[in-house]
Amino acid sequence: MHRLPRRTLLQTVAAAAASGLGALPFASRRALAQRANELNILCWEGYNSAQVLDPFRQAKGATVRAESLTNDPTMINRLRAGETNVWDLINVNNPWAREVMYPEGLITPLPRAEFEPFFELMLPEFHPPYKWAMSADGNDLLGIVQRFGPYSFVVNTDAVSRATAEDVGWDLFNDPANAGKYGILESDDWNVFNIFVVAGIDPFREHSADELAKFEETARRVFGGAKLVGDIATMNQALISGEIGFHMTGGTYSASPARADGNPNIRGITPLRGPMDGKGGIAWIEITSTVANPQLSPLAQEFLKYVQDPEVAHVVAFAEGTFNPVTQMGDPRCFALFTAEELDAIQWDSLEEEMARCVEYDIVPDYDQALDLMTAAKRARG
Amino acid sequence: MRLGPGPRHAIPVGILLLLGFAAPLVAVTAYSLATPRSFDVFRSLTLANYRTILDPANTVWLSFAWSLLLAAATVVLLAAIAYPIAYGLARLFGRWAGLVGLLFVFPLFISENVRLYGWVLFFIKGGVLDGTLRTLLGIGGPDVLFTPGMILFGMVYVYLPFMLFPLTLGLAMVPRDLIDAARDMGASRLQIWREVELPLAMPGILIGFLLTFVLGAGAVAEAKVLGGQSVIVITHDIEIAFTYAQNWPLGSALAVLLTLLIGTLVLLVLWRLDLDRILGRR
Repeated sequence: MHRLPRRTLLQTVAAAAASGLGALPFASRRALAQRANELNILCWEGYNSAQVLDPFRQAKGATVRAESLTNDPTMINRLRAGETNVWDLINVNNPWAREVMYPEGLITPLPRAEFEPFFELMLPEFHPPYKWAMSADGNDLLGIVQRFGPYSFVVNTDAVSRATAEDVGWDLFNDPANAGKYGILESDDWNVFNIFVVAGIDPFREHSADELAKFEETARRVFGGAKLVGDIATMNQALISGEIGFHMTGGTYSASPARADGNPNIRGITPLRGPMDGKGGIAWIEITSTVANPQLSPLAQEFLKYVQDPEVAHVVAFAEGTFNPVTQMGDPRCFALFTAEELDAIQWDSLEEEMARCVEYDIVPDYDQALDLMTAAKRARG
Repeated sequence: MRLGPGPRHAIPVGILLLLGFAAPLVAVTAYSLATPRSFDVFRSLTLANYRTILDPANTVWLSFAWSLLLAAATVVLLAAIAYPIAYGLARLFGRWAGLVGLLFVFPLFISENVRLYGWVLFFIKGGVLDGTLRTLLGIGGPDVLFTPGMILFGMVYVYLPFMLFPLTLGLAMVPRDLIDAARDMGASRLQIWREVELPLAMPGILIGFLLTFVLGAGAVAEAKVLGGQSVIVITHDIEIAFTYAQNWPLGSALAVLLTLLIGTLVLLVLWRLDLDRILGRR
């Protein structure tokens, strides 16, 4: 029988105790195994799926652990709270790497010579140097880009036609006649953006007291008129059943599972116009970066290269949960793997024009204050 | 000083309680005293988070009120619903009691969220209820989904076993002979229930009340899934503070206040009802 040596056991227990309860599984593993064979990924859902991770696990004989969360601030604060020694990769939306994580020393740059050739193969708008993947001074490459998409609101075209929705845009939520006919996805960070836009205000700049008052009034009205607030599955179910005609926040990311399931009338909409330099839509682009881990796994960069492979990129696009366009579709070898049904699920037909009508996700300077006002507005529904 | 065998054997449990019960409470309390929106736990000491919550302009009291109200309503409804079933299990169902009991336990093997989403499919427009009524009677189902009433329905459904089994246990503790004796002495059914059955079954009833109230006050999935967030309960507020708001100190302060509130209520009830007398230890 194989026996664990007493000294090793004691060392493991001591290391685990010293590192505190929260990091227990990691600490004990670190004391036992070399980091060369393990990789920890903090990500949005999709990268944590077995379809994406298993081939990598087998090829490298590695232990790969991925935890998925569904909002950026939580992930970044996990690093701020001291988990930089736990994670190797972090996958969040575009502004955080360049504007927050790199200036705060939470992530490390990638070797440009090794990774920029991958950007050359991507869709044209992502060719190097791609703004959101670079540091503010333009010198350092901070991550790779893969999934992206427009994210404004979703309609059931049987209730509101695509043309009407694009033309009326966010005023759909201002029309008192629509009270009780729409839902709101529970992504509160995106809802802050959207309430600003419904109020006719650009979210991504400092706001005056008058603008915040307008935001509060709009939040109370829009949440007051919502039939329900819930998650993506609930929104899609309510759209398909006719319980609601449209919902914010949403786009390819949220509508694609319903479309892939045979509901082409569920469609992400990017308004033709809006208050953000005339644009009406907001798009997200994920940046995956290496964490400033003192013992960074050598597999971190390997994984970033692995997901660039055309076949793996296609798997990432259609990993469980949500389906999304990937930048690697610029590579004909990758694009050829997408079937007509898959392209329809991710609204490939209008993707380019929709992205052109979008500004890119950015940080709201007075987010905390706006979120508090919005939470109070949600409470007032009861 | 040598420890006696009792305290010595209690050491492992003591350590487990310290690590698993006291340590998290200390951490949450320490966080609640940290600078708002920071991670300066044990490094800063301020009451700012509590001041924010107690600020008259803050409407978070609504969330506390909804949680307590829904929990209290759940207890009352469950008592009325579970009592007859528990009576049946303890007295009437005989050899079928085990099977009936098992049927009530069975749903617990399925994740609560899955069961709640199942009810959404049942009540949603075009769902099981609406579709069946349309097909059979030509009328649509009631528009009840995503309302506070639906949250209460979900809580009653989810917490039924937690009321049912303590009640059954309580009723099973009532000796049959005492009821027969009371009847022989001329007591009416109501008198037997009020003066014999209820007092003797009280430990079980009380445990059922406390269990479902505490669970109900901490419930969040029912309000989110079945209620469509038509009501924000306090646990949802705590969740928002820890996620979208990234204000861990505020979330911790809310959690400490909720713990204190529920703890005080529970202790008050226990004190008023005199557990020793109920348990017959005088």
